[in-house]
Amino acid sequence: MSVHVAGRDLSTNPRVIARALRLEIAGTPRALRIWYSVLLLLCLVGAVGAVLCLPPGWEVLGTSPTVEWGILITTYVFLAITTSGLCLASSLGTVFGIEMFIPLEKRHAILALLCLVTAFGVIALDLHFPVRMVFGAVLSPSLLSPMWWMGVFYGAYLVFLVIEVLSMFTGRWQLHRVACVLSSITAIVAPTTLGAVFGVLSSRPYWHGAFTPPAMVAAAMLSGSALLGVVFSCVHWFRLAGFERAATLAVPAIRLLLTIILAVTVLVVGWQTAWGLYGNVPGLSDATAAILVGPLALPFWIFRVLLGLVTPLVLLVLPRTRTPAGLFTASCLAFVGLFADRAIFVSAGQIAPGTAVAGVVSSPFAAYAPSLVELSVVVGALAFLALVYTLAERHLPMGEHQGHAVGAFLGSSKPGRAAGAEDPAARGRPTAPFFDGGRGVL
Amino acid sequence: MSETGPTGANEPRGTPATLSRRRVLQLGLAAVPAVCGAGLLSGALATSHDVVRAAEPEPAGAAYDPSAHDWAFVMDTTTCIGCGRCVEACKLENHVPEGPELNRTWVELHVLAEDWTVSVSSPDGGHGVPVEETVPAASAATVRNAYFVPRTCMQCENPPCTWVCPVSATYRTEDGIILVDEKRCIGCGYCVVACPYGARYMVPAGDTTPKGVAGIADKCTFCYHRITRGLLPACAEVCPVSARIFGDRNDASSAVSVALSEKRVRVMKPALGTRPRVFYTGLEGEVE
Repeated sequence: MSVHVAGRDLSTNPRVIARALRLEIAGTPRALRIWYSVLLLLCLVGAVGAVLCLPPGWEVLGTSPTVEWGILITTYVFLAITTSGLCLASSLGTVFGIEMFIPLEKRHAILALLCLVTAFGVIALDLHFPVRMVFGAVLSPSLLSPMWWMGVFYGAYLVFLVIEVLSMFTGRWQLHRVACVLSSITAIVAPTTLGAVFGVLSSRPYWHGAFTPPAMVAAAMLSGSALLGVVFSCVHWFRLAGFERAATLAVPAIRLLLTIILAVTVLVVGWQTAWGLYGNVPGLSDATAAILVGPLALPFWIFRVLLGLVTPLVLLVLPRTRTPAGLFTASCLAFVGLFADRAIFVSAGQIAPGTAVAGVVSSPFAAYAPSLVELSVVVGALAFLALVYTLAERHLPMGEHQGHAVGAFLGSSKPGRAAGAEDPAARGRPTAPFFDGGRGVL
Repeated sequence: MSETGPTGANEPRGTPATLSRRRVLQLGLAAVPAVCGAGLLSGALATSHDVVRAAEPEPAGAAYDPSAHDWAFVMDTTTCIGCGRCVEACKLENHVPEGPELNRTWVELHVLAEDWTVSVSSPDGGHGVPVEETVPAASAATVRNAYFVPRTCMQCENPPCTWVCPVSATYRTEDGIILVDEKRCIGCGYCVVACPYGARYMVPAGDTTPKGVAGIADKCTFCYHRITRGLLPACAEVCPVSARIFGDRNDASSAVSVALSEKRVRVMKPALGTRPRVFYTGLEGEVE
């Protein structure tokens, strides 16, 4: 018996699977085996942390009533907006038919799906009763709660992404185009509801306001573009499937997008900071002080501003560093900077609570340090993401498909695929592994 | 003259089109999810707006009529002596974790300096600690006023915690008390973050867990199991100086109604529009 997946007939016989696995390991280049081993080890560390997180009420997290949302929420927010950002960046090609963004499609869809699944996994570990949440959200929903709407939109987004990926690899192009449009629309709405989760809380002046949801979309664009920058730099370097089009179209497209969104983010961060300094609003000015000169100053000035915004922008703008290496460095820094940004965002809303919480007065600022269990879950989640994506890159046909060649983009009547895209006749044929050792890719 | 109808048959204008069995079956199949969806949506809407609902489980049986009561507290900061007996009584009555960092109710010391800045402290939740040593900000300044402030859940009439809950686990009873349904709470902590008064915490696993469930949100209920049986909340019961005045605002002769009519009271953070049921006498500039 066998199943047909991504153009291949896969046997379900355990012996065949074991033999294929042995052959695969034997045929895997050494560098890649080391990469897999490291990621598997980190996944194992994450799994131990995840098991410790499961029993309700076990005090294994570094959170407290004063700082109830810690690094797990940060990681969830980060991954959730990254998945939206990936889709937003890619939608310029998949929905609007802009030629230079079309090569992003396959990789963005797989990355977005993986990021979202990982995000759900992380948030499930932060919840004490994740199964109850699934039933509660359906049987006793609260339509007034932004968190409920966030669940609805990210749940819908997951469905659209699954359809998008499946239809992409099975050649159902009509369905695929509909899924692309729907997922792109949801990719805008979902992060705004995530922003609203924070923005509606009038008790938290740093988060409160209509500014928060659009700022979340800007952050999503940055993290998604940065992750695409990392991945497509690797595609270019390692000469992975479709690297010619990646080099000529995708890399310049990502560079342009990243430059624009970094400039926008500089304005967002600048105005957010200036906003906090005006008027001495209780809670808001305290949080801003914590960011500028308080306990959050180091991550803000070093990781957020210097490494996360200024350096990538300089690398992208200077002619000498307009290289794949420059893009890779800028993307990595922007990606890390955005994680720091979300950590600062989540902390700043809670660091000056403006009241005693459960009888504990936090003066001048509330303290929070992630526990080892939390850190292990975060590391494990990111390792899981990298591991599964590497497997996908190695075993799935990642070259462009002809699905957008029929000119069905919004507002466009011309074919969206240029020469160099994957040959339709080649669809269904196994793609040669790129880390094959003998082709000089590593 | 005739035209082709949707079924393809020639029918005179104005006569209803004949539905084929296939079409009827299609409509029927389409109606099933539509009806189910409408039912779910209406149920969801009903649940969503049903912020006020009966306590689960019913604490005092049919004898108690929640619509007849309107519970409230008046905290008299001019008489509170900061002894912390209320904190201890609450912990015993409600199985609140023993540690000083988790409390349903606590007592704060507010020190108002000459320059009108306020220092707030609540050492060990406010019981049995020499508080003078814990107010460094006030020690260097001339003290204008100092008093103890009993704190608890404000049981807001417009509570942020109920509407942020994604699964309607936290709700308001008809007599105005905010409760947490331990069978529905998913432990997301959104209500803890949303509460402007810091009245909530997540229950840790251990020997003493309110309601016997760890990992859910917990808060003061005005001792709902007591007040629905005609008793005072434990904190008000043990207060030696009657600084915690509790009662029914629907009863004009109750202690709380008298206090509300005779004393000058304020609520905390009135600008948020939460409309607390806990009123304070003697508070100065820190209520905002």
